[in-house]
Amino acid sequence: MTVFKTFLKVLNKYKGTLILYTVILIFFAGFNIETNDTGTDFVSSKPDVLIVNQDEEVGITKSLVHYMEDHSNMVAIKDTEEARDDALFYRDVNYIIYIPAHYREDFLAGKNPVIAVKSTGDYQSSLAELLLTRYLKLAEFYQTIETDEETLITQIEATLSKEPVVEMTSHLDRNQLEKATSYFNFANYCILAGCIYVICFLLSSFKTKGVHKRTIISSTNYKAFNRKLLLSNALFAFALWVFYIVLGIILVGDVLLSMHGIFYAINSFLFTLCALTIAFLIGNAIVNKNAISGLVNVIALGSSFLCGAFVPMEWLPDKVLTIAHILPSYWYIKTNEYLKGLEVFDMDTLKPVICNMGVIVVFIIIFIIFTNFISHKKQIQK
Amino acid sequence: MKNIIEVKNLTKTYKQLKAVDNLTFEVHEGEILGLLGPNGSGKTTTINCILSLLKYDAGSISIFGCEMQPNAYDIKKEIGVVFQEVAVFEELNVYDNIDYFCGLYIKDKKLRKTYIKEALELVGLEEFQKFYPKQLSGGLLRRLNIACGIAHKPKLIFLDEPTVAVDPQSRNNILDGIQTLRKKGATIIYTTHYMEEVEMLCDRILILDKGKILASGTNDALKALAHIEEKVSIEVMDLEETYIDKIQKFKNVEEVSYQNNLLFITYKKGNNNVTELIDYLKEEGIHYNKIYSERPTLNDVFLELTGKELRD
Amino acid sequence: MFFHNFKYTFLTLFKNKMLIFWTFAFPILLGTFFQMAFQDIENSETLHTMNIAVVKTDTFENHNIWKETIQNLSEGSDPLFSTVYVNEEEAKKQLEEENIIGYLKLEDTPKIVVKKSGIYQTIFKSVIEEINAQELMLNQMIQNGDFAVDYSTIYQKIEEITKKEAPILNISRANLSYTMIEFYTLIAMAALYGGILGMTAINQVLANMSHNGKRVAVSPVSKGKLVLSSVLASYIVQLIGIALLFIFTIFVLKVDYGTHLALVLLLALTGSLAGLSMGVTIASILKTSENVKTGIIISITMLGCFLSGMMGITMKYIIDKNIPILNKINPASMITDGFYALYYYDTLDRFYFNIVSLLLFAAIMVMISIFYLRRQKYDSI
Repeated sequence: MTVFKTFLKVLNKYKGTLILYTVILIFFAGFNIETNDTGTDFVSSKPDVLIVNQDEEVGITKSLVHYMEDHSNMVAIKDTEEARDDALFYRDVNYIIYIPAHYREDFLAGKNPVIAVKSTGDYQSSLAELLLTRYLKLAEFYQTIETDEETLITQIEATLSKEPVVEMTSHLDRNQLEKATSYFNFANYCILAGCIYVICFLLSSFKTKGVHKRTIISSTNYKAFNRKLLLSNALFAFALWVFYIVLGIILVGDVLLSMHGIFYAINSFLFTLCALTIAFLIGNAIVNKNAISGLVNVIALGSSFLCGAFVPMEWLPDKVLTIAHILPSYWYIKTNEYLKGLEVFDMDTLKPVICNMGVIVVFIIIFIIFTNFISHKKQIQK
Repeated sequence: MKNIIEVKNLTKTYKQLKAVDNLTFEVHEGEILGLLGPNGSGKTTTINCILSLLKYDAGSISIFGCEMQPNAYDIKKEIGVVFQEVAVFEELNVYDNIDYFCGLYIKDKKLRKTYIKEALELVGLEEFQKFYPKQLSGGLLRRLNIACGIAHKPKLIFLDEPTVAVDPQSRNNILDGIQTLRKKGATIIYTTHYMEEVEMLCDRILILDKGKILASGTNDALKALAHIEEKVSIEVMDLEETYIDKIQKFKNVEEVSYQNNLLFITYKKGNNNVTELIDYLKEEGIHYNKIYSERPTLNDVFLELTGKELRD
Repeated sequence: MFFHNFKYTFLTLFKNKMLIFWTFAFPILLGTFFQMAFQDIENSETLHTMNIAVVKTDTFENHNIWKETIQNLSEGSDPLFSTVYVNEEEAKKQLEEENIIGYLKLEDTPKIVVKKSGIYQTIFKSVIEEINAQELMLNQMIQNGDFAVDYSTIYQKIEEITKKEAPILNISRANLSYTMIEFYTLIAMAALYGGILGMTAINQVLANMSHNGKRVAVSPVSKGKLVLSSVLASYIVQLIGIALLFIFTIFVLKVDYGTHLALVLLLALTGSLAGLSMGVTIASILKTSENVKTGIIISITMLGCFLSGMMGITMKYIIDKNIPILNKINPASMITDGFYALYYYDTLDRFYFNIVSLLLFAAIMVMISIFYLRRQKYDSI
């Protein structure tokens, strides 16, 4: 009990660090809750578009503006070119359309006026361009065969309104699963950083020269002491895991109370265990607190960046992903990503999940062996 | 005798606490002046005021006949300070540490080199030149601390508790070093709460408590302040009360106590007190084993002046 | 004396392993991580060829306009579609295995089947709509009774229009790579971390901050000289770190700083100066341990970098748009925005505004520190 009490007292000293990482996690999850709402019916994606209209909004110009408004999200930007340029750079808007003055006049006169655009060049802007092009081509076509503006507009709009039937086969609530996956992926960073950081610091407090010597000469059984210390750390890691799961349920929603949730939880539990063994390894190898904080930062940030905790895995270059295979985070995140698209749970579909978890277990065993090896070697040196 | 330092009516308060209270004293050329007092008696504060590190509320301080100021560089050039705390760079080795601090005083590189060598010899760190502070033991670190303060051969040296928590070997080395410095003509101000060191080293002693000077003078002069002359302790088995009462009535006896087969007798003054006592014991046929006679220590003086021990 | 102190300050800073790790190695490591994680993001966000399937139906085979358009769109060096023509069963299977994003089944009306909603699916749908519109146009012309022209002429005319580029002129600026911001915040971070160097160096010469400082204070050297040479030494160390970071980001990570190299240098110098002055101020006004001061500088820097987009590039934009004042007083944002202005804009107004802001920030910091550094005697040590 003494060991555990002291453990808690020392832990209390590092509560700031834990709070910091938890706040980051909540912040991140909060940010991601605003992802696109895709339900179980097909919904067209809408690019973010800004129209700078120097013409009067009547007739054909009005029709064009309305068409774009219907098929994209209109973004309000301050009316300066610098604000628009900034918005484009930071992807607040994907496509800016400048309708020139006298556009309607020139168009009806058959002059085929040019419309200037600014584009981010990504697929959102491609979609916007597709929409604009379609309108302009149709307009151009009908303009050659129709002279009356009213009829012209009616014809264009009638043609545009013809939509194909869209059928969607999957009815998973991808929105929540998407959120859950990004939450657990990001938790990779918090578990690694928080857990390793705190446990290493705790261990190094107990292993400080004088303290360590005093423990050895005390009447406590040294092995029992070590066991208690390990148990305290494991308890701490377990508590942290439970906390993150509960936090996840609050932040992400009830999707975590389903089959998916169980596997997310098992996966993160294994990963927390793995983080615990990494922490033991580092804590046993290094006593210097400064060196620990440097190393933990590098490990946590490195694993998170390389394995897709911050940036989705599918966007990472293959080379990076190949390197990432040697990190436990890769297997953890891979499972999360796989779970996202999983619809049926049976032995067949769960095979990859079990494989990935197996790899993490192997990592855990390797770390334990290394830890034993190092502490054994250190004892002999003494 | 020339006064190197003159402190007049120095007063320094920290909020409520009067750390230094109307202090006036001088330091003579070539002497070792000991500032003796318990923890918190104002020794370090006094030194920091003299060195112009601290603002003080009243009083004046002059060194070498000039007023001491933060930018009195001509004065500072001749001063060496060894602070209570070890003040060295973790990142520099022993040699570089001394070179850095010495370099703040001595520009000439060649001269500096010989000075550093001498300082290393003085504190006995010749073999540790390439060591980093972290690799040194507590005692050696203290010696480095001293070397950094005195390498530039100052005429006036402040040593603020340089032997706190130091092993006996290093302590002897440090005390020897201080005497060597004095022999070479330096004036030294030495603060400590170890009376033995003061008794051994110092020409003159100021006893401080609560920021005030309780007494000052040479070792002997201070001891003369004590009411007692001699303290005698004798090992006697099972002494009866009546004898104690009788001894109590002897000439010059101030106090008698008997504990754990040890008889303590303090004499106010007089000679041949011990002879008289031995004669009496023989007469009464009382067996005794060991007999010690001590002169009063500065601790006794302090005890009499303040009613408390130097070291608490 | 100036040089003596300079030399040793330089030495002590360089030998402080933790200091060098945080100010030199950490930004480089972080930059490497950024590069690895972000190098493909923008590429992934551009439109790629999408795999689709077309169910072979009689209607499809008989409608040339559908057949040819889809074929056209699946040809060329960077086509929109990569199309397979299969039966419905096969198409379903391919979709389930996510080999294709969707398939088209043309009967009386066009029908597309997808697995989920998304941008590619929307584009797929949009293109099908367009082909559908073309067919409508064709029918309309025939219905209009324009029988004077024969079918093939009409078809040609439509093709002419559909193949012709729409009258759109792209006037976007050339440099649109937003991940550059990550690297700019990295430079900002390194520049502000430099404050730790300045703080450490200054602490060593202040009597009320360190034991060494007391020793220095009783030496016959003017405080101004010592402070100045210590500050200069830490500035040089800081600049060496920044230079290494620049070399690394330019040659290894291929970060684009725009074309004005001299101005990039100017920004790096002023940015570092701002970081240094912040460190000196924190060193001289706060009376706590060096670790706490380091913690404060790191916290301020990370908060500043967070607000200027290090943990999510949009954060800088959100702040700029909604609480501009916050980033106008944030040195990390001044540095980031300065690089951004150089990279993205042709005019230099915005860049110089940031330079002046940084100088102003440094000047205020220096003034505050001078106010505290002027003291030679202290109330307590």
